[in-house]
Amino acid sequence: MNTVNEKTQNGATAPVFDEALIKSLEEDSDGQTFTINIEPPPAMPDGCSSCAVHNAANLRSLGVDMTEWDYVVALAGNPNVGKSTVFNALTGLRQHTGNWPGKTVSRAEGGFEYGESRYKLVDLPGTYSLLATSMDEEIARDFILFGQPDVTIVVVDATRLERNLNLVLQVLEITDRVVVCLNLMDEARRHGLKVDERRLALDLGVPVIPTEARHKRGMNELIQAVDEVATGKYQPKPHRIQSTPPALKNAVNQLVTQLEKIVPGLPNARWVALRLLDGDQSIADALNEGRLGALANSNTSHPAGDLMAVQL
Amino acid sequence: MPDPLIALIVAGLLAGITALLFWPERGLVIRWRRSRQMNERVLAEDALKQIHKSEMRGQVATLDGVAGALQISRDHTAELLARAEENGLVSNEAGVLHLTPEGRNAALHIIRAHRLWERYLADQTGFGEAQWHGQAEILEHSLPPEEVDALAAKLGYPTHDPHGDPIPDASGQYVAHGGQPLTAIALDQPAQIVHIEDEPETIYAQLVALGLYPGMTVRLVEASSKRVRFWANGDEHVLAPILATNISVVPLPETATVVVESDSETLADLKLGERGKVSAISPRCRGAERRRFMDLGILPGTVISAEMVSAGGDPTAYRIREALIALRSEQASMIQITRRLEPAA
Amino acid sequence: MTTTSIPMNAPPQTRHGSESETSPEEVLALARTLRWEIGGDFHQTLMETIYTDAARIADRAVTRPGEKPRFDLDRTIDGLVTSRRWGIPIMILMFTAVFWITITGANIPSQMLSNLLIGTIYPALQQAAAAIGMPWWLSGFLIDGMYLATAWVVSVMLPPMAIFFPLFTLLEDFGYLPRVAFNLDNIYKKSGAHGKQSLSMMMGFGCNAAGIVSTRIIDSPRERLIAILTNNFALCNGRWPTQILLATIFIGALAPVYMAGLISALAVVGIAMLGIVISFLVSGMLSRSLLKGEVSTFSLELPPFRPPRVLQTIYTSFIDRTLYVLWRAVVFAAPAGAVIWLVSNITINGTSAAQYIINVLDPIGLLFGLNGVILLAYVVAIPANEIVIPTILMLTVMTLGATNLGAGAGVMFETESNAATKAILTAGGWTVLTAISVMLFSLLHNPCSTTIYTIYKETGSKKWATVSTLLPLAMGFAVTFVVAQVWRLVFGAG
Repeated sequence: MNTVNEKTQNGATAPVFDEALIKSLEEDSDGQTFTINIEPPPAMPDGCSSCAVHNAANLRSLGVDMTEWDYVVALAGNPNVGKSTVFNALTGLRQHTGNWPGKTVSRAEGGFEYGESRYKLVDLPGTYSLLATSMDEEIARDFILFGQPDVTIVVVDATRLERNLNLVLQVLEITDRVVVCLNLMDEARRHGLKVDERRLALDLGVPVIPTEARHKRGMNELIQAVDEVATGKYQPKPHRIQSTPPALKNAVNQLVTQLEKIVPGLPNARWVALRLLDGDQSIADALNEGRLGALANSNTSHPAGDLMAVQL
Repeated sequence: MPDPLIALIVAGLLAGITALLFWPERGLVIRWRRSRQMNERVLAEDALKQIHKSEMRGQVATLDGVAGALQISRDHTAELLARAEENGLVSNEAGVLHLTPEGRNAALHIIRAHRLWERYLADQTGFGEAQWHGQAEILEHSLPPEEVDALAAKLGYPTHDPHGDPIPDASGQYVAHGGQPLTAIALDQPAQIVHIEDEPETIYAQLVALGLYPGMTVRLVEASSKRVRFWANGDEHVLAPILATNISVVPLPETATVVVESDSETLADLKLGERGKVSAISPRCRGAERRRFMDLGILPGTVISAEMVSAGGDPTAYRIREALIALRSEQASMIQITRRLEPAA
Repeated sequence: MTTTSIPMNAPPQTRHGSESETSPEEVLALARTLRWEIGGDFHQTLMETIYTDAARIADRAVTRPGEKPRFDLDRTIDGLVTSRRWGIPIMILMFTAVFWITITGANIPSQMLSNLLIGTIYPALQQAAAAIGMPWWLSGFLIDGMYLATAWVVSVMLPPMAIFFPLFTLLEDFGYLPRVAFNLDNIYKKSGAHGKQSLSMMMGFGCNAAGIVSTRIIDSPRERLIAILTNNFALCNGRWPTQILLATIFIGALAPVYMAGLISALAVVGIAMLGIVISFLVSGMLSRSLLKGEVSTFSLELPPFRPPRVLQTIYTSFIDRTLYVLWRAVVFAAPAGAVIWLVSNITINGTSAAQYIINVLDPIGLLFGLNGVILLAYVVAIPANEIVIPTILMLTVMTLGATNLGAGAGVMFETESNAATKAILTAGGWTVLTAISVMLFSLLHNPCSTTIYTIYKETGSKKWATVSTLLPLAMGFAVTFVVAQVWRLVFGAG
């Protein structure tokens, strides 16, 4: 149930995978080449592995006060995947949840403690996507991009994995610090689906925790994974979108090169380039006003340089 | 207490007068406002646009042509053009009108405002295509340059208007669509519609009614002086040549597959329990609705099955990437499918 | 052709290229140039890219059952609740049950609350005030005004809402409500609305403010605005008692005794149906005029059925919906009670302010089959429709100058029997026409202030809050005017 955690619990700073498993994945029957980065995690820019990375100034302008808290955790997910139930289970609050897409009444905040740390949990609007085509999507996108939460939990519906991964992959383009909460495992079981969370964790490069939030199952594991990512005990190596057509790749590469010049160390240059190509005005404004620069200066645990070099 | 009959009559009259004054689009107040907007500046700008259009088509712009297009008298047109010449916008060489660089800039600014506004109406509002042109014709004259720039930014600097016309950028530059009239391409040559002329409105309305949109792939099968016959997205169309010349296309490589008869199905044609693979989303579907489809995972290659019909008969619930999504029949008919499902890889 | 064209290939930039500073403007310009190259379908290309990856990853992680489960309960339920034959009857049955449980179940606690708040605490407060020597105007203002109005609203409003909302929420949690929207969408589509509007309307039968909050499930801007602006035509909990009372004492009385109950029930149902019909008409009108330019999309996801967790649902829906709505109502009702008390007790030359206002409003009211008392009652009852009838009774008694009736100036009351109520109203000049006009006006008038405030909060627009206030009010005046004049034309001045 919580393989990823077991690995990380053993004191290792990064998940160490079975050689055999990796071999079996590399010889995958569908014939697609798939490589896994098993190099040790890149060195920290300044050696601080457990520092919070959130952008307190931006968070304040987004309406989140961090004075009482050590880490901020964003909760994202598609509509109707039990996001609010996860929120309630984590915080002990009683926010109403309904069996409806898009039911959450207003942005909820809560908190939990784990070990020495106090975590603030911010519930983002349920969205299918982060491409900022609606107000909700823009709110969620801005929070993850500018607030730079220490961890973003993406709640996914285990019975509709493919559509939910659409959002996960988009979040992974913006931030590495992601924990996937594979919710509604009970429902998946009822439908006879088997979801291999270890495989999923390998493919996504971030912890994947199976949960049944309605019955409060898997919550401890989820909190633990959040803690490990927040404190840097776990170094995610997130999947980047791969199937990019060549013309697009070329355009993205040109833009990334330019972006790197004005915003050295921008953690998500590739994603910013994609947004600029899509004509996203709020990102263009952020670039013009230097707000993207502020993101690069904060203490990100990943040097930005390798992002596009690896996949493009 | 007033006599009830009189009270009813008085109230009826009051309601009638109010309606006459404030009726949307046809009320007196709206008409009066509109007529005030049709001032000299608007006419002068329309004249520049008209000359630019003639130049773009390689036609000769004359005073009579402009007067005809603007539907004003020759004298009035002459007056307008004389003023434009004084301002250095137009030059007149032996009855042939030319735009000066300044004049062209002014014309391009108006065209930019017009096409951006059409793009805005198409993408970010619920207005139907029949209303885009008319609204843009009015607004193109009232938007100051800063607002046009803001609009362009808000829309993400679109490159083309919904008819396929390129939108000039702030410095007036653009890439022409480079299409040729549908009648000019070789028979059986796959081609893509890049532009549908939105004037005159009656012809445009006919083309829209046929379901023709920029982005469609077409194949010409017959072109004579009497009629033009072609396939477009799985439907056969027959047009009078005069209509067909208003459609511009660019040839596609021979390998491009043009959807033909056997594949001309949409999601709406699926019966319960049947499956189909999405081949394209109709270009007719745009803006918020198109993005919503994509968010739901309706993309070329997605396999969709029809699961159940509502008790009311209309929306049908489809299984799309594991989720059960209800779509109305007119939405389903915008999703083109093929029943040939390749075996899963 | 003289058009200039931009260079199609931007100068190649390499990572270790020129050392010159790059500005954000240059990057944005490059992005715009590149956009001409990659073509207009970028968004679709990007989505296809992401989904290609998502599909591959999902395929590797998920093992699907080799054969379908032999008895798929979800499909069976879905087949039943959306079937042409059973879908609509099941829906009617479900909602009839919900409303029946609400109405019958609310009676007893409502009576108990009323006995407690008005029968016991209210006199106790008055005695306490007298004991500590509180001046009459202060105790009147606080106890007869603010307290009594609040107590009234709470005892009328709380029990039905505490029953209705949890029941509705249970159906929602189970996943049944999206199927209702699915079944009814075809009807709503014809008036340019969304099938989910059927659910916000049904919530509106409980409380319009809650109904408006529930329109959040409609994700298309135009359809959501339509649902918000027409929610008021769902006869809310605060207005049902008015309809039932007037139908019973005026309309039922026209029929023979054995038919009276049926006729008055039909009258009430008729008004509620009229509300639904009007909501369709107004929806169609709005979508074709005022809201033509708003974006419209449709999608309705049918989530899997999930066994509801009964206790938690009751708890959360009580906290979220019932208390939320109740709190707002109390916040608005208390000042309204104070205003009612004040206008009845501030006197100028021996005549109360209320009397002056009623005298001015009387001729206007008559045009619409109403009277000055009713209009004033509706003005002061903007905060909460529940207090309309008590206010009308109080004001009528006051204008009659009948000291043997009622509980004093500015003190709302209800009579023990319908006959006594009818006696007071008839003495105040009420006819059958007045009753019909009030019933129509109760359906068609501005929403209560809680609802208006909710509309403002939900739309973030003063314009829509104003439209939603004035549109039904104008319709109400138009309808009551025509009905009153035609009535008088047919039956003579009445």
